[in-house]
Amino acid sequence: MASPTPTELDPSSELDAVADRGPLLSRESQTLRFLLSNEFGLIVLIAIFAGVFSLFTPGFTSPFNQFTLGRTMAIDIMIGFSMMVVIVTGGLNLSVGAIGVCAAIGFGWLVETLGLPLPMALLGALALGATLGTVNGILIVRSGLHSFIITLATMSIFFGVMVFLTHAEAFRIIPPEMSAFGKMRILSYVSPLLLISIAVGVLLTCLYRLTPLGREMLAAGAKAAAAELSGVRIGRTFVICHSLSGVLAAIAATMVVARNGAAIPSMAGGLGQDWLLPAVLGPVLGGTLLTGGRVSVFGTFLGSAFVTTLTNGLLQFRVGEFWLQTWLGGLLLLAVLIDLARRRYLARGGRRMA
Amino acid sequence: MTAPVLEARGISKSFPGVRALQDVSMTLGRGSIHALLGENGAGKSTLIKVVTGVHQLDAGTLLLDGNSVHFAGPREAIAAGIAVVHQERNLIPRFSVGENILLERLGDNLLRSVDHGAIHAEAKRWLDVLELDVDSRIPVSRLNVAKMQLVEIAKALSLRSRVLLLDEPTASLTPHETVVLFGLLRKLRDEGVSIVFVSHKLEEVQEICDQVTVLRDGRNACDSRSMAGLGRQDLVRLMIGRSEQIPNWSVRDRTTAEPVLELYGIATSIGHNGIDLTLHRGEILGLYGLIGAGRTELAKSILGIYRITSGEIRIGGQTAHIRSMAEAIHCYRLGYISEDRKQEGLILMHSVLENAGMTVWRKLAGAFGVLTDRTIRARVEPVIRQLDVRTPSLAQTVGNLSGGNQQKISVAKWLAAEVSILIVDEPSVGIDIKTKAYLHGLLRQLADRGTAILLITSDMPEMITLADRIAVMDEYRVKGVIANDRVYEGMSERIMHLIHGQEAA
Amino acid sequence: MSAALSRVLQADWFGPLAIVIVATLVIGSIEPSFLSSFNIQILLLAVAVNCVIAFSQMIIIAVGQMNLSVGAIGGLAAISFAGMMQVWGLPGPLAALAALAIGAAAGLFNGALIAATGISAFVVTLASLSVFKGINLGITRAQPFYGVPESVKAFGNTTFLGPIPWLVLPAILVVVAIMHLLNRQVLGRHILAVGGNQSAAELSGISVARTVVWTHAISGTLAALAGIMFVARLQLGQPSIGDDWLIPSFAAPVIGGAVLAGGHVSVSGTLLGVVIVAIITQALVIFRIDPFFVQVVLGFLILWAVGINRLREIRVERVLGRI
Repeated sequence: MASPTPTELDPSSELDAVADRGPLLSRESQTLRFLLSNEFGLIVLIAIFAGVFSLFTPGFTSPFNQFTLGRTMAIDIMIGFSMMVVIVTGGLNLSVGAIGVCAAIGFGWLVETLGLPLPMALLGALALGATLGTVNGILIVRSGLHSFIITLATMSIFFGVMVFLTHAEAFRIIPPEMSAFGKMRILSYVSPLLLISIAVGVLLTCLYRLTPLGREMLAAGAKAAAAELSGVRIGRTFVICHSLSGVLAAIAATMVVARNGAAIPSMAGGLGQDWLLPAVLGPVLGGTLLTGGRVSVFGTFLGSAFVTTLTNGLLQFRVGEFWLQTWLGGLLLLAVLIDLARRRYLARGGRRMA
Repeated sequence: MTAPVLEARGISKSFPGVRALQDVSMTLGRGSIHALLGENGAGKSTLIKVVTGVHQLDAGTLLLDGNSVHFAGPREAIAAGIAVVHQERNLIPRFSVGENILLERLGDNLLRSVDHGAIHAEAKRWLDVLELDVDSRIPVSRLNVAKMQLVEIAKALSLRSRVLLLDEPTASLTPHETVVLFGLLRKLRDEGVSIVFVSHKLEEVQEICDQVTVLRDGRNACDSRSMAGLGRQDLVRLMIGRSEQIPNWSVRDRTTAEPVLELYGIATSIGHNGIDLTLHRGEILGLYGLIGAGRTELAKSILGIYRITSGEIRIGGQTAHIRSMAEAIHCYRLGYISEDRKQEGLILMHSVLENAGMTVWRKLAGAFGVLTDRTIRARVEPVIRQLDVRTPSLAQTVGNLSGGNQQKISVAKWLAAEVSILIVDEPSVGIDIKTKAYLHGLLRQLADRGTAILLITSDMPEMITLADRIAVMDEYRVKGVIANDRVYEGMSERIMHLIHGQEAA
Repeated sequence: MSAALSRVLQADWFGPLAIVIVATLVIGSIEPSFLSSFNIQILLLAVAVNCVIAFSQMIIIAVGQMNLSVGAIGGLAAISFAGMMQVWGLPGPLAALAALAIGAAAGLFNGALIAATGISAFVVTLASLSVFKGINLGITRAQPFYGVPESVKAFGNTTFLGPIPWLVLPAILVVVAIMHLLNRQVLGRHILAVGGNQSAAELSGISVARTVVWTHAISGTLAALAGIMFVARLQLGQPSIGDDWLIPSFAAPVIGGAVLAGGHVSVSGTLLGVVIVAIITQALVIFRIDPFFVQVVLGFLILWAVGINRLREIRVERVLGRI
């Protein structure tokens, strides 16, 4: 039962709302709000788990492990971003994995079969991702249907066409620079891939904070009808969000290719389904609202980073890779439950102050 | 008064950030029709939801036959003999009329079978009681709004409850349907049923109710007093805390100013036909009509939301083809304040700054498309200050502000956009009297400064206060345009005559 | 007469039925072996198992939610079923009952979490998909259980009355039960009421939470049944059972005219949706087209079906709006 929004109720509280809450919402409660934020919680969690892992497993802090951890983290963060930009609209993109695989295979085909130079092939892969994302966006906007069912269908189509065309064969002749980039280490700990993810994160933050387009995305996601009547072209905005999602999925996919040194159709499981969990985990842990209209780029970054750290540590602990999925699923449940408790606590706190 | 059946004592209820009810009491006698009055937002619906177990009360007691009761959910209230027709539609669209009427009585035993034959036989009885000629087997989604309303009433009646709460039951009924309903309510009262009747139509209240409770700002303005001796003005004074005041503004005639928005023979894909209207610079043109007359839809057609199939729109003398709201704002400087603030007007989860600046983002973006909060603030802050919006800061979430302040923000974004034509749709729904008066003054001021305003409202006094000319709409057509002489009695009569007179012809 | 005709034309099952008939005639005339007894047996087998999967999703669609963990529950039930027979030597029926109970419990877990917390079904079932699949892999270490008794194997691979596989029996039971549930039972009506208008249902005294929990329990049980049927057909407890159920589980109900927002599903339409998918899969095999192409066809089928449903809705709205 949805509780009514405060608005439909009572004008009498006007004075209370302003007089009581304004000044009383002091430094104290703002600090409390920060301490209860997803971002802070994630930083603490990452610190705790990283501490535990480095104390109890010998391998965790080794330069090589830190390097591979960073590399995987970079990919998971990109996958998380790719889902995040669509969740902002209140939608979902189930086809992130399928688009990613298509972009990776497209890249392999461009360099191996067509012999295009590396930058051109990379651009081609991103363009393919953008195109597939745009197809999603246009189908969703034109049909007026929820993105869940549309991207469920296109996930099957994109992946199916890709396998049909390639006969599930991998492209293994990847330019050596690409593989070298995947193996490159900065200061023996850091993968350059991680720097790319950080850069993309900064760009996305700028998009939402500093451009009309980013603000329009959030407005359209929060309340499409209201945004439209204020002059936001919501159809175009939604399509751009999906195109962006496709590009980000393609970036993640080329990172995977750099890491593996090959473009393999099974890199994201059947239909690309294996990307789904990391894609949703990052944004949800990071406090991006599934109903749209609110985003935390930094939160998604931390959320994905946390999941990767935890996965890596659990593997170091030899918990058994078979059980890993159970842990991750349980983690997602735990995270949303904590988030719920946190929001209820904040709401109750807000009322007490009023 | 006979022994009370249902008694609410000292009820308080808060939602995060808002006190909806404070120490409210109401005593419902056996066999009486009890009016529950108050302005929008006074807390009537909240009180009804507390009494029927939808909301849990924070403080106070509910007494049923003198015994304290607590309803954890609607189910328990229904079981205790309290039935309700809520303000919002509560039917399952794809279910048959019969099944909707008897939904409560499907029973609690999940594995029991449903006897559709018996359901329709029983439902037919209640439809007959209401003189409603509807096949109980067709899905509710095929009915019009008035029939749906009657089905909801049949649904509440079928529970044969001792207490019946009706929240605005006549809002979409025809006069004849209302008469039938009132006859039925009187009969139920004589059989001993206690009825709570919420309505905005004071004539109806005076006609049928024998007790009255008035809420103002979530508190009792009066608690269960007899209707006898209370006149319309007394009720109004109780509701708004003072008598109705209509500002005595001078009659204006702007038809000699240059026309800024002209409609010639407009027909739309949703059914308007042959609409001719002219709006002049600095003029307030009222668009009056009953709910469903097609006024909001006409506004949205002008703004490019619905398709115009024939005719011509001219803005500033030039033929205009508006394909979207974005074009309307940026190319033609047209603005629209929606009647549905929560869905179409504002983004409640976003801040004051975001909401008030939404219309000017594109315009304000600087080099490389960069748009900082500081830029928006510079544009928005003066407007927010001018409108005297009470908010702790521009970063405040709009959902936490009162209805009046929210409405000011939905006005503010059009002031920030500096529109020259403003369409205002039901501007005073759900806001307090003080803000309402303020808004009226503001609209008048805007018009005096040259903004052309198309005012849509169902509130007759508001219309006669504000409009310079009034266009009367019915069934997606303009029935006539009359100049407003600001004499209430004569004007309201002429308006109603335009609506009904042509109906009879 | 014309009213009756237009009612038939507008029924959910009409379009899919027309497709089934036309497809059968066309494929049968090009390749007569399509209608051979062997082929019909294969078709019936596919329909029997897949319709249980589809109903497991359909019931959740009816209440206005989605269940991504249908496949994971099916897989977990399948390996439990096979595992209990191999490791503990339980007789087939007993192991099947236990596996159904596991499915019901998994569904209850989903439903209880969704109802109690109000978290979206998408997130909860995505998480539980991972949990159930992880348990599956943790138990099996990705290796199949081979010790399936002969009786179970026979049930999955023999026929009666000519080409009719025994596996059709549980499927028919499910179809009848679901039809009865949704049309004639209080629980079924509650499910559709909650899916149709949740707040109205709540205000009419229907417990939304209880309805949601029950719906998920039924969905879990059906998914488990599908898993058991898979084991009988494959003759082994394969850990990968259920991995590829997601798309078909949505395809059939949607082809059958289900409204994804909830409140309206069609049992006969869904059944025909399953038949269409089976015919297309089989046709691709017969015409020696790459089996991967099934994915593409399934995707387009979903798009086509939701497009049609949407058009129908728009038309209804238009008719209602102006009368």
